[in-house]
Amino acid sequence: MTSWLTLPMINMDRRILHLDLDAFFVSVEQSLNPSLRGKPVVVGGQPGKRGVVASASYEARAFGLYAGMPLASAHRLCPHAIFIPGSFSHYREASAGFFRILADYTPDIEAGGLDEAYLDVTGLLPGFDSAFHMAQQIKHRVRRELDLIVSVGIANSKVVAKIASDLGKPDGLIEVTKGAERSFLAPLAIGKMPGVGEKTERLMKGLGIATIGQLADTPPAALKNRLGQWGETLHRHAMGIDDRKVEPPGEAKSISRETTFAADTLEEGFIKATLRYLAERVGADLRQHAKRAKCVTIKVRFSDFETITRQCAIPEASDSDQAIYEAGLRLLARAFHYRRARVRLLGIGVSSLQDPGQQLHLWDFTDEKAARLNRTVDQLRKKYGFTSIQTGQTRRLKEDYPDSPDRDGYRLHTPSLSR
Amino acid sequence: MKLTCLQENLSKGLSIVGRAIGTRTTLPITNNVLLTAEESRFRLCATNLEMAITCWIGSKVDRAGSITVPARLLSEFIASLPNDKVDIELPPKGRTLQLHCARFEARISGIEAEDFPPIPQVEGLTATIEASALRQGIAQVAFAAAADESRPVLTGIHCDFEEDRLTLASADGFRLAVHKTTLASPVSGKAAVIIPARSMAELSHLLSDEDEKVEIRINVQKSQALFKFKNLEMVSQLIQGNFPNYNQLIPKNYATRAEVGVADFLRATKAASTFARDGSGILRVQVTPGAELTPGKVAVSARAEEIGDNMGEIDATVKGETAKIAFNSKYLLDVLNAIGQGQVALETTTPSSPGVIRPIGQDNYVHVIMPMFVQW
Repeated sequence: MTSWLTLPMINMDRRILHLDLDAFFVSVEQSLNPSLRGKPVVVGGQPGKRGVVASASYEARAFGLYAGMPLASAHRLCPHAIFIPGSFSHYREASAGFFRILADYTPDIEAGGLDEAYLDVTGLLPGFDSAFHMAQQIKHRVRRELDLIVSVGIANSKVVAKIASDLGKPDGLIEVTKGAERSFLAPLAIGKMPGVGEKTERLMKGLGIATIGQLADTPPAALKNRLGQWGETLHRHAMGIDDRKVEPPGEAKSISRETTFAADTLEEGFIKATLRYLAERVGADLRQHAKRAKCVTIKVRFSDFETITRQCAIPEASDSDQAIYEAGLRLLARAFHYRRARVRLLGIGVSSLQDPGQQLHLWDFTDEKAARLNRTVDQLRKKYGFTSIQTGQTRRLKEDYPDSPDRDGYRLHTPSLSR
Repeated sequence: MKLTCLQENLSKGLSIVGRAIGTRTTLPITNNVLLTAEESRFRLCATNLEMAITCWIGSKVDRAGSITVPARLLSEFIASLPNDKVDIELPPKGRTLQLHCARFEARISGIEAEDFPPIPQVEGLTATIEASALRQGIAQVAFAAAADESRPVLTGIHCDFEEDRLTLASADGFRLAVHKTTLASPVSGKAAVIIPARSMAELSHLLSDEDEKVEIRINVQKSQALFKFKNLEMVSQLIQGNFPNYNQLIPKNYATRAEVGVADFLRATKAASTFARDGSGILRVQVTPGAELTPGKVAVSARAEEIGDNMGEIDATVKGETAKIAFNSKYLLDVLNAIGQGQVALETTTPSSPGVIRPIGQDNYVHVIMPMFVQW
């Protein structure tokens, strides 16, 4: 049955660029320290410690290293690699430079992390005869101005552009012309499809699907059976159909921080100190964004990788470290009530963000005092670095992380933390 | 038990006591209503353990007795019957209540009356008050009590009896409402107790505006309060604890005082609240004194990020300097709705010190609202 009501037409003539900086963290390190060029370099931490590879140079990848791999395995595969802990402030700076360049070409930018972006340049090519030439110029500027290399994919949809940029790496530039999407995708291995991880790949192999072309030829009903709505979406993507828009970021909906411990732990003092530190980072971000949160969530991953979250609302929307930490402590008790096992990863976040405006209390001034304290601490930290001033609850972290010369935060073992 | 009463009276009585039925209960029998046939009266009683309501209805009693039956079932069944005589009978030693009305009949199995929680007889400090005065007092303070249970004393109304004065006060930490009223007969001695705001709100539903008196009895030792009027009795538990010393929270001075019509102020507040809803409920109130030929004004505005903003102005008689203050829209709406009509004065000192609202010509009520700290 067809309806006379039609959805807005999908513009098949879109030109979407997907840009992805090659081996981003490593490349930034290499540009800061040229002696690292041409060598197997791993950013993420020391191999003796816990954690995962955050970024590996192409020379290291030749040994089978990849982002997300445990550092220990990386060291086994490539013992002569240079392991560096990385410093997030440099990456943030480089990323800001990258997005400043992109902003010269279009306002329609959707960031995917620090090193990745979609640009919609449909009908918007002033001074360029094609999207391809625009991409060439962006690549040139990124190399000249930032000393970084960006791979670009161009297509009429996000999914095809992303696959194209990935396929061209390193230093790639691939344009998929209109009408050629399906034939471009067909021969590619199913694992190249964004959103197809190990688990889905195994499931697809079970269905006899090894390439994206075979996925496109599979009846969508069969996929829907196994994968639900997601199966249908994957099928459309395999045919080169993807009507998702390039959406500039809206306001932040949540703010969170997490870290993996150097060793799985059940030591309450240490877990609480870390929770406090993470809460302070979240609180600082929240105040930086001039928002208040109504909802606090914690995430706990146990040593066997079981991961749980616990969430609660706080009575009055708040932006104070104290309120976030106290809610976090209550949630932590709930998590341990569910299961008392050694913890591998701990995270805390806030959501239901609201505009600022603190409801004052008639006789209880703790919130106001906390707000004044936090404002002062924020100012100090802005000037002298995050660890220049500490609360008592996080004092012991200085001993637990002795090798943290970075004033901008403890160098814990996942780069996500220092963000 | 054997008696006859009118469907209309029974239905009304059941809906009255039904207000005491708890929604969440740990004691299943509190979902039942206790029916007791006394000489020439039929007593209905329900409780949620925090309060109990008893109602007597006129009836012709042939045989005394009592039983408890599911309150909701009985109430809904009786309400659906025609307005006629209802015959109610419980066979001696039986547990099944038999009902007869016109061409309808029903049987409901009950639980023995002995299992019902005892409803206390309250003796102690005794006072009387006009029903309308009590009702107005509750209406002006009950909404300011805390809804969440984290500090139990704040979920109650502080009732201070002294000579012929009753002072009602409630505060949730962000606002404070104080209402003074006169007792119909002075009390001997004094008492200050905290009665759950929920009980008081139910009580005010039961009070009519008719010219009648309510008898109040307080027993501090047993932690009980009783309200008795017409054919009704309500008993409530008291809340134990120390109520904040609220007199010191009421500002004695102000820097700016704006007198406005309640209806105008309420309209501007409602208009701005529609925008405040999408933010954090923040209303910005700006008071500007009049000049030689122009009247003073109060402007109420709100903005919702990425959606829009609004502003409404009303004329005001302003004493003092220009003022800016931000309130949670709900708090302002609540107090203006409770005052309802006439003129009010809004007194402020600084953007972060309490705002005071007083009805003009009614000096027995004062409402204090803590502002929200915002960037202007």
